[in-house]
Amino acid sequence: MGNPILCDDAIGIRLVGCLKKRLQSFSAFDIVEDCSLGGFNLLEVIDGYGRLIVIDSIRTVGATPGEWYYFTADRLRATMNLDCVHDANFATALELGRRLGMHLPLDHDIHIFAVEILDNQTFAERMTKELENRFQTIVDEIFIPLQLLLRADNQEK
Amino acid sequence: MKTIRIDPITRLEGHGKIEIFLADDGGVQDCYFQIPELRGFERFVVGRPVEELPRIMTRICGVCPASHHMASAKAVDGCFGGEVAPLAHKLRDMYYHAHYIHSHIAHFYALAAPDFVLGPDADPAIRNILGVVAKVGLEIGGKVIQARAMAQKIQQLLGGRTTHLVWCLPGGVSKGLNKNELEKIKPMVKELAAFADFSLKLFRDIVLGNPQYVDLILHGPYTLDVHSMGLVDENNAENFYDGQVRVVDFLGKEICKYHPHEYADFVAEHVESWSYLKFPYLKKRGWKGFVEGIDSSLYCATPLARLNVSDRMATPRAQEAFEEMFRTLGGKPCRALLANHWARLVEMVHNVEMLERYCDDAEITGDRFRVIPTKITGEGVGIVEAMRGTLTHHYTCDKNGICTSANLIVGTTNNNAPIQMVTKKVAQTLIKPGKEPDQGILNMIEMAFRAFDPCYSCATHSLPGQMPLEVSAYKNGALHWQLKRGI
Repeated sequence: MGNPILCDDAIGIRLVGCLKKRLQSFSAFDIVEDCSLGGFNLLEVIDGYGRLIVIDSIRTVGATPGEWYYFTADRLRATMNLDCVHDANFATALELGRRLGMHLPLDHDIHIFAVEILDNQTFAERMTKELENRFQTIVDEIFIPLQLLLRADNQEK
Repeated sequence: MKTIRIDPITRLEGHGKIEIFLADDGGVQDCYFQIPELRGFERFVVGRPVEELPRIMTRICGVCPASHHMASAKAVDGCFGGEVAPLAHKLRDMYYHAHYIHSHIAHFYALAAPDFVLGPDADPAIRNILGVVAKVGLEIGGKVIQARAMAQKIQQLLGGRTTHLVWCLPGGVSKGLNKNELEKIKPMVKELAAFADFSLKLFRDIVLGNPQYVDLILHGPYTLDVHSMGLVDENNAENFYDGQVRVVDFLGKEICKYHPHEYADFVAEHVESWSYLKFPYLKKRGWKGFVEGIDSSLYCATPLARLNVSDRMATPRAQEAFEEMFRTLGGKPCRALLANHWARLVEMVHNVEMLERYCDDAEITGDRFRVIPTKITGEGVGIVEAMRGTLTHHYTCDKNGICTSANLIVGTTNNNAPIQMVTKKVAQTLIKPGKEPDQGILNMIEMAFRAFDPCYSCATHSLPGQMPLEVSAYKNGALHWQLKRGI
């Protein structure tokens, strides 16, 4: 997920662009490489899938740009409210979709990799120096748990 | 003096900060709504082929990308001499009506309905679309999702994609509509017509049937005596894609009406040191500050404002809904900002009727959907009505078609001053000396700017997607109390 022309917000899209070459040996998954969408629109993308891996940016207080976190959608449960002023947030959209009978991955099957960023408010085609310098390291680090997730999925099949 | 600060810290999309200064007796003395703006767009696009801009502009926003694409396309058309294939105008307009439907559905059901279906004081844990579905039933909830998906599908059939269009080109569009695609659209339009009527009925039953809500709409603090702006056609009927911009004062008198290329003669932007976002105002009246009144130079550009400036609707069922709305509200123009939610539903009826017309238009599946430009004239202005207000794109380019400048006035920017003012007005009404504010008051303040359906960030997405709020009140420089949500 991300915006390719909003500086560090491109990190998710850039990472998937690199990672997909390494993931060619795995099967039974689809890549949406450029997902610049909000809550309801995301539902329409993920409807019908059993598992979801999201790669995105995040900004928190006091963290170092380039650090990344892994968590599952269980962590989003607390955000089901009206805070987003022009779309439903992801957690709300997920819960709504499930209640309405859409076939959506369960929370523990939604795996989120979120990379700390510095700037998501400046229009630019390149990321900040901090993210660009660390980019290859992030690719290598995220690839390890990512392939484990996909390998587990392949084995289940 | 005490300070109440509403200041989100952690988020993935744009946000605003509200600081409320309390007087010593605890009443609200002043209120500032600060908006951080995305930076550098004008620099980013300079030096690029101007015909690329419509494809870039859709990336400004993941919620209203088609609005930016359309306004940008029209500005680019101007840079290349202005000639556009008539069929392309129809196709673009048809797409845009479908886009409006999907956006208005999302806003009404996900954002506005919870306040009215569950009540503005309801527990935040249920005051959301899930609470609405729990109250109105799964069947209706399912209809909402399906209707939105149909509107998206119509856009996809027309323009090739639902989000981040690459469809409009100088002189037209890259893809027409074939007969097979039209046959897929027709049954969806029929269902959307029923859904639009259903939504209006729901509003009548739940909102208008509740005297407290009617009182809140008509007599609550959510009113402003400022003017209205919107796009109209040659008959002064509402139009989202083309026409002239009309401004009407709150007594119904026309202040001005201008063509897109004249916008800089009529609208100027004021800068305040405490906000990144500018404050547009009517240039010929001059900046007079954040003041209401007949001599104000401030205006709203919203669904309600669009209906205020329109003498009529261009389609019959929408005209009936338009007349019913203003009859109930006591005439037009209407200054009750919560009526924006009703105005969206009236617009949705019009959107569907226009889709019906295009479905019956024998020319709509034609193949002459582009005129190849033969000259570069170097400047163009494109104005459309984004769902949340009048959107202006103004570009210049050199003799090789390379962009030399870009200026945007986005929908929400028009409303910056009114949002400021109504937030202050609501805060002054609700935060009283001796009364400890609670989450309900936070929501009532949010209702003020939610009526504008603001799109501050024009960022693309949000994973938690929250707008954390922190309200801090200070007395004599010390923190007096604090409310937080989502932090």
